[in-house]
Order: sequence, then structure tokens, then C-alpha cells
Amino acid sequence: MSSVREWSDDAGALRRFGLALVRDDRFVFDDVAAGALIDKLFRQASLTLVDCPGEDRRAARVRAFAQFVRLYRRHARRLAVDEDGGWVETPPSCRGGGSAAVGVRSLPLELREALLLVVLAGFTHREAAAALDLPLAVVVDRLSRARTRLAAHMAAARETVAAWPQSAHLRIVK
Amino acid sequence: MTGRANPAEMLAYVDDCLDPQARSAFEARLKADPELRREVARWESQNRAIRAAFGAPPRGALDLGGASNENAVRRAGEAAKSVDGAARPFGQARKRRAAARPIAKPRPSGPGPTARRLVRVVTLAAAIAWVGLPSLGPRPPAALIAAGASAARALGDLPVEFVAGDPAALAQRLGARLALSPPLAPGLQLIGARLAPGSQATATLYLYENSRGERVTLMVEPLDEIGAAPARRGEADGLSVAAWTGAGYGFVAAAHDDKDVESLIAAAGADDDFLADAGAQRR
Repeated sequence: MSSVREWSDDAGALRRFGLALVRDDRFVFDDVAAGALIDKLFRQASLTLVDCPGEDRRAARVRAFAQFVRLYRRHARRLAVDEDGGWVETPPSCRGGGSAAVGVRSLPLELREALLLVVLAGFTHREAAAALDLPLAVVVDRLSRARTRLAAHMAAARETVAAWPQSAHLRIVK
Repeated sequence: MTGRANPAEMLAYVDDCLDPQARSAFEARLKADPELRREVARWESQNRAIRAAFGAPPRGALDLGGASNENAVRRAGEAAKSVDGAARPFGQARKRRAAARPIAKPRPSGPGPTARRLVRVVTLAAAIAWVGLPSLGPRPPAALIAAGASAARALGDLPVEFVAGDPAALAQRLGARLALSPPLAPGLQLIGARLAPGSQATATLYLYENSRGERVTLMVEPLDEIGAAPARRGEADGLSVAAWTGAGYGFVAAAHDDKDVESLIAAAGADDDFLADAGAQRR
């Protein structure tokens, strides 16, 4: 049986991962909406997870994350169907901010979930493959693509900031 | 990307997924290859940026290696508690199982407290019906009555703004919102109209004269979402006043003589054709 401290660590990591995953600037635009969605998915995940006696903590953690990812995928799929193709997403380049968070949000879901599982939740590549129910090679490929796209996004953002006239908005008015 | 390093291996190193042997071999190669070092440093920096952006602790601070097993029942209980304690929108009450009723004690003979209360309520209702209180059905708003009485008192004796030779032309001049053909009441002569402040919006004050040359007023105010209510009679500032609603309008008739008010009620309030025409014009 895990201690309360250990469980709260896992829950915190899952919540952090969830907040990063569900904020996509498409359906979920702020932390309040993201928090509400995560609470809903948490409840669903908690109620649908079955206890496996003898399972080590790491495997249980992978299973919890996998369940969360499955539920979120189902939710996102339903939203995409409801949109019925009539919605045109604002390109990420038109939105403000050039941080890593904005870059991650601009990634497609399949790249975002792989990257966040490994980098933010601390999963190994094999654990991420198990959680996403994908072959290891696919996960590694997605990680590589996600990193390349994110690096390009951050470099473009840096160039935009560098090209911005720093003193243009300050003028002495006599 | 370097040509000598396997990208998958490099990513595995950056994400701390290599076993110790492969890790030391990769680090040996890293020492000898500055380009590879730059590449690895770039991905590590990106990892740090992502963790910092989403508020994650630096890697290694969280010990997750211990063997343990979560209790699904406990998690479900915690989730159920959080659902139970969460705020509900619009103050909805939560469905709870009713508490078990205690076993009733044998009562003394005679009517119980509920029966006595019921008898009292029935008696009171009968008394109200006997005395004959005003109707409990829909009633015109009190603000409408006050506005109509004030307009009659303040504006009833002033010269008219719109002279009424032709009632249809008068309605046309008053505009679309107030475009209501004035009712023609027997014994009253329409002499014109003024604009007047209503209870919620601008109203039209139709001015009539009776056979004695006394002014009689009918205020017509367009009201949104107002239901039909029968005429309610009263007295204000020495004037006999009646108010009613229908067809999206509020009407207030005021005169010194009750008969003139009744005449207006008959022409506008009780005349279904007039109200139907008014409703059609309003639409």
C-alpha cells in the first residue's frame, strides 16, 4: 500500500500532465477550463481503474496515466466530431506568446501527449509506449518530430522578439 | 543532427532511458564529439524549458521507484467525496435517501395537528370567498396605474400635440412603436394626443372630451412580455382611474366621471376586436 505522500505526488504529476495536455488553445483556452475538464477526467479515471494486487507502483502509475490519456482522447474526438469541420483554427503563429508552453499547445495531440509523458511526467520511452498503447518506434518517432517542431517554434518566437523595435512604444511627449 | 549518433539513442540519453552500460558508452562518445554535445545540450535545454513552463519539479526530485499498489476502492471513495462536496450550479439540491421514519406512536383519538391545520385553511378560504376580495388573477402593474394617473393629472388639461381629425393619420404620426389606432368611445370625442412618460417607456396619451367639455385621457404604453389582465378600477388624485393590459399594451383611462372611464373600458378593454387589431399592429 502506498503512503499518502506518494499518492499525492502521483496525483500532482498527473494533474500537471493533464493541465499541459488539455490546454490546446482550441477547445480549452485557460487554466480554469482546463482544471474543470481535468477534474471530470480524474473522476472518470478513478472510478474506472481496477485495483491490481501485486502490481508495482510504477506500473500502476503507467496504468493511471494511460487511462487518463484514453479518456482525454475520447473527449477530444467527441469535440472534433461536434465541430463538424466548420471551425477554422487560428494558426499558432497568430497568437501571442513564444514560450515553450505555447509551442507545446500548438503541437498536434499525438505529438503533445508523447512529449509530455516523457518530459513532464518522467516516463521512459517504453512506459510512454505502454501508456499510449503504441509501438516503441512510433513513440520515438513522435518524440523526435515533437521536439523538432517545438524547437522551430521557439526559434521563430525568439526571432520575432529580436525583430521587435524595443523603443518604438516609448516616446517622450513634451 | 549528427551523423555519428543514432537519434533514438540520443533521445533516450536525453530522456534518461538508457541502461547504465549504454549510458556510459554514450557519455564516452559525448566527450569526444563537441557537435553531439551541442545537440544533446539543445534537447536538454528544451526539456528544462518544458518542465519550467508547466511547473514541474526538476528531474530526480520525485522518487517514484518504490513498489506499491494504489487501492482503487480508496480512490473511488475519495472521488465520490469530492463529487459530493463540490458546489452544484444554480443551488440544486442533491438527491439523498430519505432518513428512516421513526415508528409512529399511537395517537389519541380526534383530529391530529395536520387535520386541524387543514380545517383552518379551508375555513379561511371560505371566509375570503364570502367577503369577496379582489380577483387573485392577473392584474395590471401598479407602476402603470401610477404613470397613467400622473399623466392624466399633469398633461390632461394641456393643449394637444397632435390634432386628431383622422385617427388613422394620428396613429401614423405617432410612429411605429406607438402606432395604435385610438379607440372611439361613445359619448367621447377624440381631440388629439400627446406623448407622455409611461411606467417603462414613452406612452401615448389620447385626449377626449365628454359632453360637458371635461377632459378624459387614455394612456397607451407598449409593454414587452406583458400578459392580458382585466380592468382594475380605482381612484387617484380625485380622478376615476381604470387600468388593464392586453395585446402587448398597457392602458390607463382617467376621468372625473366613472361613466367616461367605463365607456373607454368598453371601447378598448372589453372590445376583443380592438385588442386583436392592436396586437396585429404591434406585430
